[in-house]
Formats: sequence, C-alpha cells, structure tokens
Amino acid sequence: MAPAAPKSGDAIFASVDRVNAELFTLTYGAIVRQLLTDLEEVEEVNKQLDQMGYNIGVRLVDEFLAKSNVSRCVEFRETAEVIAKVGFKMFLGVTASVTNWDTEGTTCSLILEDNPLVDFVELPDTCQGLYYCNILSGVVRGALEMVSMKTEVTWLRDMLKGDDVFELQVKLLKQIPEEYPYKDDE
Amino acid sequence: MIVCVAVVGHQNNPLYIQSFTESDDVLKLHHIVHCSLDVVDERVNNPKKSGPTLNETFLGLLYPTENYKVYGYLTNTKVKFILVTTDLDVRDADVRNFFRSFHAAYVDAVSNPFHVPGKKITSKVFAKRVSGIVQTFGLSSAG
Repeated sequence: MAPAAPKSGDAIFASVDRVNAELFTLTYGAIVRQLLTDLEEVEEVNKQLDQMGYNIGVRLVDEFLAKSNVSRCVEFRETAEVIAKVGFKMFLGVTASVTNWDTEGTTCSLILEDNPLVDFVELPDTCQGLYYCNILSGVVRGALEMVSMKTEVTWLRDMLKGDDVFELQVKLLKQIPEEYPYKDDE
Repeated sequence: MIVCVAVVGHQNNPLYIQSFTESDDVLKLHHIVHCSLDVVDERVNNPKKSGPTLNETFLGLLYPTENYKVYGYLTNTKVKFILVTTDLDVRDADVRNFFRSFHAAYVDAVSNPFHVPGKKITSKVFAKRVSGIVQTFGLSSAG
C-alpha cells in the first residue's frame, strides 16, 4: 500500500478536533499565573515552562508524524520549514516563517507574527524577565530530541516586551545517532 | 466633549478613572462620578416597569448637572461604566455605541491573566484604547 502523501498544515488543521481559542488562551494564562504564585522566582517559572514544554514535545512529535505523514527530512533546513509550516499550523493554527540562517545551516529563527497564547496578555512590571511563551521553546526542543536532534532553543524577540514579532532561535547542537541498548550478537 | 470615563466595581470600588480635560477640577469630576453611583443604585434597585431590561443594561442619562451630563452602563457582573460629557446634544445611539466599544475594551483588559479582578486596571493598552474610543466619539457627534 503506498504511503499517503504528506498533508499540508492547513489540511490537517482543518481535520483535527478544535478547541475554543479563548479557552486555550485563558487556560495557559492561568497556568502561568499559578506557576508565578507557587514559585515566585521568574527564572524558576521560565525553567518550569520549558520543562513542561519539553514533556509535551516528546509526546507531541509522535502525533505530528502520524497525522502529517511527512517524509524523513534530509537536512536541518527542511526540518525547520516543516516545524514552521506544518507543525505550528497544526497545533497552534498559525504559520511561522523561517529566517536568519547562519552559514553552516545549523541555526535559524522561527518568526511568529501571531500567537494565540498571548491574546489579552500584558506583562506587569514585576515580571519583566518572564518568557511567557517559554512552553513553546520546550515543545520544539523536546520534539526534536525525539527525532535524534539535540537543539538549543531561545527567544530572541518577544512581543510582550515591546518587539514587533516573536522570534525563536533554534540551534542544532548535534545529531545523535540511534543507539541500541544491547550489543549485536556475534 | 467627553471629560471623564470611569469603571466602578460591584462593591462601588473604583477600577479605572480617566479624565480628558486639561483643567484641574479632576477632583470635581471624581465627585460627580461618585454621586452618580447613588443614582445607579437607585435605578438598579427599583427597575422601571416600562421597557425590558437587557443583559448589559444601558442606564441612560443619570442626571444632568451644571454643564455636565452623566451616562451610566451596567454589566451583568454589576460593574458600572460612567461617562461624563459636556456636550449639550448627544445622541442616544452614540452613547450606546461608545459603551459597547468600551465594554469590549474592558473585557479584553480583564482577560489578561495578570489582572487581579477587583484591583485597579493598570493595562496601558486599555488606556490607549479608551483614549481612541473617546476621540472617535467626539468626532462622530461633532457637526
């Protein structure tokens, strides 16, 4: 049976179950608020959000591959494009664009002009160091780690801090080859 | 000319008050807003038998005083919006539209997860939107 052709982000987004955007935004806002109340330190909250995102990412990547049917990416450039166009569209409903490739092709920036997580949000003065969308960086990192790529994901620009877009920098640290836990029998 | 808008919580605590005149009788405006709350309570407790009351009750002209007119609007969470204007001829439809946009801006401001319900609204975006709405109100009713 021939494998199904990879579906575009729009097509998958149209076919999955959807939830009310305001409910999603308000739920995420409540999570961040509660973390701030519990942990009090902005750095701790950033770390927790990243960890939560990582846990989501490692599980999300299987669903992504199952629903989107994309073929193996030949190089990191393709991976970044797939994340931006298919991944973000499928799960957040917005498309990102990929820019700022470095010369070796291991670092790029994902630009998000529209982000449903931050509707209605304004950072108070006490939380200026908070990366409100840090969960997204964890998701990308976790998902890529499950497909054998170790990455470092950081926020370069943040609309809640006054910039005009969200810019997420993804740096490929290394490709981890598949390791087998047992030795081949002679 | 709108001179002042105010948002008052359900326990009559002020949540947002903004005046748009350069003159320094801001205190007088605060006082007018405060007095108008009594009128609001009176209207709420004795609903007029004529006319259906909608969910977002537009209370209309609360009372004309000196050279000001005070309009009120009540949301279903008992949050009141007060509008003080010096315009002599203000169309009812304009005020209703004003309150509708104001209500939308208010809802967006309180949806901010960092906003504590019951505390003052500190959102700069809200302040900007309100200034914008106030300016368009002035333009639409002029001429």
